[in-house]
Amino acid sequence: MDPTDTELAEAAAAADADAQSAIDALLQRYLLLLDTYSTLRAELNQLQASLFQHLARANFVAANRGQRYGQDYYDQRMQAQRRTTLTQGGGGGGGGGVEGAPPVVMTVGVYPPPTAADGDDGDEKADSEENDQEERAAAPNPNPNPADPLRWFGILTPFPLRQAQGLAIQAVEEIIPRLANVSAEMAAVELEVRRARKRRAKAKKAEWKARWPLEERVGGAGFVA
Amino acid sequence: MSAQTDFRDRQFLAVIGDEDSVTGLLLAGIGHVTPPPDNQKNFLVVDNKTDNAAIEAAFDKFSTERKDIAIILINQHVADRIRHRIDTYTAAFPTVLEIPSKDHPYDPEKDSVLRRIRRLFGE
Repeated sequence: MDPTDTELAEAAAAADADAQSAIDALLQRYLLLLDTYSTLRAELNQLQASLFQHLARANFVAANRGQRYGQDYYDQRMQAQRRTTLTQGGGGGGGGGVEGAPPVVMTVGVYPPPTAADGDDGDEKADSEENDQEERAAAPNPNPNPADPLRWFGILTPFPLRQAQGLAIQAVEEIIPRLANVSAEMAAVELEVRRARKRRAKAKKAEWKARWPLEERVGGAGFVA
Repeated sequence: MSAQTDFRDRQFLAVIGDEDSVTGLLLAGIGHVTPPPDNQKNFLVVDNKTDNAAIEAAFDKFSTERKDIAIILINQHVADRIRHRIDTYTAAFPTVLEIPSKDHPYDPEKDSVLRRIRRLFGE
């Protein structure tokens, strides 16, 4: 039994409403992410502005000695003290991600981590306690902390330069990875919105084809063989 | 999927910017020079004499050649000089973030993320 025109129209309208509400939900999530992005942006701008102010103040003091805190003092063998860690799935904070694949969450932290012995698993703890002690005694830290970048600029660095460093650390550890995560999540939601729109367009096309069979469409235009 | 598989090796932040921006971020300890003979740096100081080709080359190196970069920070006014390259960059890793500089405050109109938003709602 063929469905009537009204039944087809009702089913199509319901499917369209479902698709639209799915897109609306995605857009709502997107707008929340945009709000977070804008807030983080404002925080980063403020931090950067203060950082430049402190750096300018430090340079103003150093100018008396004909010095400028810049690339002339960079250590040519510098090693990164703060590095990113990317973990998949996280299961909380960042959330979202592309359908199917759990999102990758970025964090920035001190490298090497301050105390590697702190957070081990509980069940292995008792067994490996003795081994750990032996290992620690046998192999002293193979990768000692690289030099503090402040030392590139001398032993007695001005206070504004230290303040600038503090702000830079705050930006790098707290704001930048969160901005990167939000930006990635926004890109994933954008993709989902585009896919949902495409799916809706396809469904509409299919519904249109079902309601007006080919003969009617072609016949109406006078193409019947 | 390939972008998802190699993300664990990405551990550095790269910077392309003016001297103050780079100095500020290097103070946080993100600067890294690989061992000889490569001696590859993860930063580029841009001034008036730096040509666009050099900026583009650095961006390409950080974004496609090197597999150890997770985030590229680039001054917005520097990004403007290679805007075509930034706007067509779509890879998941490394993430590109435009940051303000001392002389050029952040302009949301130029931000590649916010331009994407306009494209999404303008469709």
